[in-house]
Amino acid sequence: MSRFTTGQRNRIWRIGSLLPAALILVLLSIYPVFNLIDLSLSEVTWSGGQSSSSYVGLDNYHTLFTDEPVYWAGVRNTIVFALTAVALQMVLGFSMALSVQRLSGISRAVLTTIFLLPIVIPPIVIGAMWRLLLGREFGMVNQLLGAVGIPPIDFLGNGDIALLSVIAVDVWHWTPFAFLLLLTGLESLDEEVFDAARFDVTSGWQRLRYITLPLMMPTFLITLGLRLILSFKVFDEIYLLTGGGPGTATEVINFSIYRTFFTQDKTGLGSAMSVVTLVAVAVLIVIVNGAIRMRRKREVNG
Amino acid sequence: MPKKTIQRRWTRAILGATTAMVLAVPASAEEIRVLINQSPWLDSFIAMIDEYEDQSDNTLVLDVTPFGGMVEKTRNSLRAGSGSYDLIALNSAAMAEFYAGGFLKPLTEIDPDVTVPENVLTFGGTTGWNFDTSSFSTDGTLMGLPINGNVQVLYYRKDLYEEKGLEVPETWEQLQANTEALNSDETYGFVTRGAKDSILYNFTPYLFSHGGSFFADPAAGDYSVTLNSPEGLEALETYISLAEKSGIPNPGATAQAELIQLLSTGRAAQAIAVMAAYSSLNDPSSSIVAGQIGTALVPTKEGHPHSSAAGHWMAGISGNVSEEKQAAALDFLQWFIDRDTQVSYVEMGGVPVRSDLASDFEGNPEFDFLPAFSANAEVSQMNMPLIEGVELRDIISLELNRALIGEISPAEAQNSAARRMNDTLVKAGYDVTPPTDL
Repeated sequence: MSRFTTGQRNRIWRIGSLLPAALILVLLSIYPVFNLIDLSLSEVTWSGGQSSSSYVGLDNYHTLFTDEPVYWAGVRNTIVFALTAVALQMVLGFSMALSVQRLSGISRAVLTTIFLLPIVIPPIVIGAMWRLLLGREFGMVNQLLGAVGIPPIDFLGNGDIALLSVIAVDVWHWTPFAFLLLLTGLESLDEEVFDAARFDVTSGWQRLRYITLPLMMPTFLITLGLRLILSFKVFDEIYLLTGGGPGTATEVINFSIYRTFFTQDKTGLGSAMSVVTLVAVAVLIVIVNGAIRMRRKREVNG
Repeated sequence: MPKKTIQRRWTRAILGATTAMVLAVPASAEEIRVLINQSPWLDSFIAMIDEYEDQSDNTLVLDVTPFGGMVEKTRNSLRAGSGSYDLIALNSAAMAEFYAGGFLKPLTEIDPDVTVPENVLTFGGTTGWNFDTSSFSTDGTLMGLPINGNVQVLYYRKDLYEEKGLEVPETWEQLQANTEALNSDETYGFVTRGAKDSILYNFTPYLFSHGGSFFADPAAGDYSVTLNSPEGLEALETYISLAEKSGIPNPGATAQAELIQLLSTGRAAQAIAVMAAYSSLNDPSSSIVAGQIGTALVPTKEGHPHSSAAGHWMAGISGNVSEEKQAAALDFLQWFIDRDTQVSYVEMGGVPVRSDLASDFEGNPEFDFLPAFSANAEVSQMNMPLIEGVELRDIISLELNRALIGEISPAEAQNSAARRMNDTLVKAGYDVTPPTDL
């Protein structure tokens, strides 16, 4: 006869089955975050080939908030970058999804493949490719503009438009991601709803405005959330296209962290930057999650 | 023949062959692992390795890394329990950090008799480190030997100079006048390398040749910031003025690759660039102006001595590798700086690290660059001769770049850079006099 009751056995089973996953989560996610926080409160120095770490309290955070104008220029640019790029990706991605949904057969397959092409190209190739295309002196875009009498535009070297140029490249690169998710969402909509509303809606616009868009809202929110979080992680495109310049025109958060952490070897300050960014992204996730939950709650409550 | 006899013969033969193989490889044969940057002079360096391997039992294995990743890879290897590289190419900006950090094996600890031979350039005393004053010094501990003398020189188009009747400029004013004379719809008179990652190096000769400096007296260990001085301001104004008069619309986004591209395609008539670019600019397969490129001493302010920026590469030997590897790495370095080797290196398109090679190539137009190289190498100076060099480079570069693109005024840029440099030095424990705003 077992020493445990059925309830106890169930509890042991639940804990036992969840334990490996919980341990992996702690090891791979939570421990690095705590380590990062610990690093942000200390300063590492090297002497005689040996490192020594000293506790500096909130010094690194104080420096970050009072003496790191480049990081804050990066925060501003990242917000502009994320909002503009993601808004454009959502609009373009949804338009592309709508057009593909109406097609069938070979034309649908061909168009889907073309639309998805940018997302499979490695970022390093995208950076090199667009740098060559947008170059002022020898770039193909300026050669085409020159052929129609338009003087060369310094897409990457002019501080007024460099960020817009980088946003354009990001839109080109990541719109397929939004397209893919939104197309999946469109495909999963219940056709019966459209059939039932056939007598109430009289035009394609009304069908889109009053049926498709409301039904797609959960997919929109998830796509928006994913893209916003991913766009806060932008690094490779900026690194390859502009290096954060000219001036601070295209500086982004991750670029500041990379430079501080790795190039300047200031692990404490770099960690403080990472922690602040992590908190900001976590808040963003909570907001998006909250919006999705509220939406669901409203749907359940009718 | 009995089976056992055959087996014994085979066993003896295998044992004999193995013994012969072991004896054939001398005990000193080592594989030297080298971390080196991807650069215009890499091919000539590789050619020299082939020559070394023909003469030595040692072999070299290169990890060729883009410039941007060199410092991180160097730190990772030197800070590890056991190093991944035996010989490491060190750029001038990060040299002090690795010399002072205790990561490298002083060369005299590998071989007490090793010295820097006469006529080998030290580029501002950067072969040694004075641990008392925390500064470079040839009298200090011998930490590295040079492998590439990449100083800056003035490049100009000989054919265009002849066509316009121009003289090689001695001063910044003359360079400015030449620039205006050469400017046309098809040609930029002068190209400034002002991108964030390049501007400090490019600006350095302007600062020194105007009588300015970054620090009060680095050789004596006084790192008080002196960048924002009247001389420094004049230097930055000259720098910006030349960039504006050159006609190129985006000097603040022009890095080394773009600059070389503009020169090699004939779009630019003059530029201050690294010596290592010479071989590709004079190679007909990569340049339409091959044979038309002249080199000269970087101009100066009227009445002031000339100056060039040291952008050379030293090679240091890791402290965390075996003594055998360290000895082999030193053997290669000593061979590399030998005069005969350096003559071959120049023939292969490399930038030498000796000052006594010009006579070997006299009258050979292919090596016309040697007098200009020697003259610039002689006046080359380090801009960031301290441990915090990489961090300070980022601070100054950003402010200079902002001034160049017109985001802030030259005085604001220098004051801001000086303040932040001072803060960094104070935090690092330096005893410095705070800079006064312009």
